[in-house]
Amino acid sequence: MIRLAAPVRDPAVAGPLLRCEGLTRRFGDRVAVEGVSLSLPAGEVYGLLGPNGAGKTTTIKMVCGLTAPDRGTVHVAGEPATSARARRLVGYVPQDVALYPDLTARENLRFLGSLYGLSGGVLRERVAEALELTDLTDRARERVGSYSGGMKRRLNMAAGLLHHPRLLVLDEPTVGVDPQSRFAILERVRTFAGQGMAVLYTTHYMEEADRICDRVGIIDHGHLVAEGTRRELVAKLGEKDRIELGALGDLERLAELSRQVPGVEGAGVADHCVHLVATSGRELLPALLEAADRAEVDITSVDVVEPDLEAVFLHLTGTALRE
Amino acid sequence: MRPVLVIAAKDLKQRLRDRSAIVLALLAPLAVAALMSAAFGGAENVHATLAVANEDHGAVATGLLAALHAPELGRLVTVDEVRSASAATQAVRSGSADAGIVIPAGFSASVLTASPEALSTVTSVNDTVAAELASSVTQAFTARLNGDRLAVATALAAGAPASHVQALARDASGLELPVDVVQRALGARQLSTISYFAPAMAIFFVLFVVSFTSRSFFVEREQGMIERALAAPISARHVVAGKALSAFVLAATSLAVIGVVTGTAFGADWGDPLGAILVSLAMVLSVVALTALVIGVARTERQAETVSSIVVFCLALLGGNFVLVSVAPPLLRRLALFTPNGWALRGYTDLATTGGGVGTVVVPVLAILAFAAVVGVAGLLLARRAVRP
Repeated sequence: MIRLAAPVRDPAVAGPLLRCEGLTRRFGDRVAVEGVSLSLPAGEVYGLLGPNGAGKTTTIKMVCGLTAPDRGTVHVAGEPATSARARRLVGYVPQDVALYPDLTARENLRFLGSLYGLSGGVLRERVAEALELTDLTDRARERVGSYSGGMKRRLNMAAGLLHHPRLLVLDEPTVGVDPQSRFAILERVRTFAGQGMAVLYTTHYMEEADRICDRVGIIDHGHLVAEGTRRELVAKLGEKDRIELGALGDLERLAELSRQVPGVEGAGVADHCVHLVATSGRELLPALLEAADRAEVDITSVDVVEPDLEAVFLHLTGTALRE
Repeated sequence: MRPVLVIAAKDLKQRLRDRSAIVLALLAPLAVAALMSAAFGGAENVHATLAVANEDHGAVATGLLAALHAPELGRLVTVDEVRSASAATQAVRSGSADAGIVIPAGFSASVLTASPEALSTVTSVNDTVAAELASSVTQAFTARLNGDRLAVATALAAGAPASHVQALARDASGLELPVDVVQRALGARQLSTISYFAPAMAIFFVLFVVSFTSRSFFVEREQGMIERALAAPISARHVVAGKALSAFVLAATSLAVIGVVTGTAFGADWGDPLGAILVSLAMVLSVVALTALVIGVARTERQAETVSSIVVFCLALLGGNFVLVSVAPPLLRRLALFTPNGWALRGYTDLATTGGGVGTVVVPVLAILAFAAVVGVAGLLLARRAVRP
C-alpha cells in the first residue's frame, strides 16, 4: 500500500492535479510539441499514446519540470512544475533504467530518497517498502549491475515511488520488458490509481493504453490529435471497420496501394500485417486483394475486427502506431 | 546544503568502489615517489672509490693527493693509490674502483712551463656519477692551479723580486681542493630527491581526479541519473556543488595521505605543515576548477577522458612534475608560472629549502587561487549547459 504525499492545502488542488495548457517546445527548427493541453485528476490513469518521436517524452519532461516549455504552462497541484513544491508531488520513472549499476538496490533507493528530502527512519521505512513492493528485499545488498533486466525495471519504477508522489509519470516503462514483468507493472499502475494516485503513462503499445488507461490522448508529430476514454475515441470511427491483412512480401507497397482504394481512410504496417481503417470494410475486400496482386504480395489472412485504439490512430493519422 | 552532501557522499562511495581511482589517487603516487627516490636518491649519498695513479711524484701531485685525502672529501671519495695509468684503468675495468685519475709523469714540473701536462680521468660508462665526481675533482684542482699560476706570472710581470717567487711557489704547493666547488657540481639544491618527487608525484596523480570525476559525470548523464536527480526538488547548482565537493574531498585526501606517508615512511620534507596545507588546499581548488572546465568543454565520456589526459600531462610537463624546473630551459621555467602545479611545487620546495612558514607560500598560494578562479568561472559557465537535461 503506497500512501500518497500529504495533500497540498492550495485551493487550486481542488481542480485537476495536473494541468498543462498550450505546451509548445521546439528544438531548433524542429517542433517537438505544439499546443498540447491536458489535465489529469487524482486517481486517473492517462495514457499518452503515440509513435516514437511523436512528442511524448518531451511532454512529460515539461510536466516533470526538466524541460521548460517555449510557450504554455504546466501546473502540478496548482504549483508551477519547475517549483520544488511541485517536484515533491511528482514521481518520475524514466524510459531507460536510471540507476547506478555499481551501487546496491538499497543504496540507489537511499540516494534517490534523500534527494526528495527523506531521512532517518522515514527513509529506511520507504526503502524497505519499495524493496518489498518490487520483491527485491532478499537481493537489496546486491549491486544493481548484477540484476536481470526485469529486476532493474521494477527497481527503476520503485525509485519513483519512494516519496509517495501524488502524480506518477511513467515514460514507456514496459519497453524491453518480458511479458511477466510487463503484466506486473501494468497491474501496479492500476493499483496506484486505485489508491488515489494520478498516473501519466506514455506508451506506443496500443493494447497497454487500451487496458489500463482511463483516458487516452493520441499524440502525433507533437500535436494532441484526440483525447478521451477508449469508448469516446472508438466512437469517433462511427461505422468504420478495422481490417488486418496478414501478408508476405512488400507490405509497405501494399499499404501504399491500399490507401488509394476508395473508402480506405488509413493504412499502415505493424507486426507483419497491413492495418486498415475503412468504411464498409467487407465490401472493399475485392479491391484490396487486387491491390495485393499489384503489389505482388501474398495474402495469408484477412480479419475484419472490432475497432480499437489502433484503428482510431490509423483513422486520425493515416498511419499505423508502430510504423 | 543537504542535497550537496548526499550527492558528494554517493560520489565518494562510488570512487571507493572504483579500484582504479584508489590506485591512481593513493597507491600510484606513493609507488612512483618511492621508485623515483630510489632511482635518483643516490645523488644525496654520492661516494666513489677513485684509483689515483701518481706517475709524477712531484710537489704538485703530492698536493693533489693531499687534497683528495682531506677530511672534507672523505664522505665523497675513497682514494686508492695505484702505480700506473694502466693499473688505474684495470681497477676501473674490474670494478675495484669506480673511476680513476692519472697524474702523468712530469706534471709538477710542467706546471711552471707554458704548456703544462694535463690530468686525465678513467671512467666507466656504467657509473656516470663516479665519472662526474672524478671530472669535477680534477677540473676544480686544475682551475685552482691555473689561478695560482696566474698569480705567480702576474707577480713576476709586475717586477716582484726572485726571492718572492720562491715563496709564491711554496704557497702554490700548499694547494687545497675547493671542496665547495665540488659539492655544487654534484648537487643542484639542498633538497632531497624524495622531498621533490613526493609532492611532484602527489600533485601529478591528484590531477587525475580531474579525469575520473569528469568521466563519471558523463557516465551518470548517459545513465540518465543526472536527469533523474534533477526531477527531484533540487537544482543544477546542487548537482554541480555535490560533484565539486566529492572532487575536493578526494583530491585533498589523496594529497594528505601521500604527504603523511612520504613524510613518515620515506623521509620527505614537506616543510611547515600549515604552509603545506595552504598550498595543498589551493592546489585542490584548482583541481576542482579544472574538473568543471573539462565537464564544460567535453560532450561525452570519451571526450572527457581525452581532454583531461591532455590537460594532466601538459600541466605535469610544464609544471615540473617530471623534471626539476630549476634545471629546465628558461622557456619552460617561464611556462611553469602559468600552471597551478608549477606554483604548488615551488611552494612545497620553498617550504622545505627555506624552513619558512606561511609567509613563504603567500605568492604561490595566491597564484594557484588566481588560476583556480579564472578556470573555475570559465568552467562553471560552460558546465551549466552540460548539467541541464
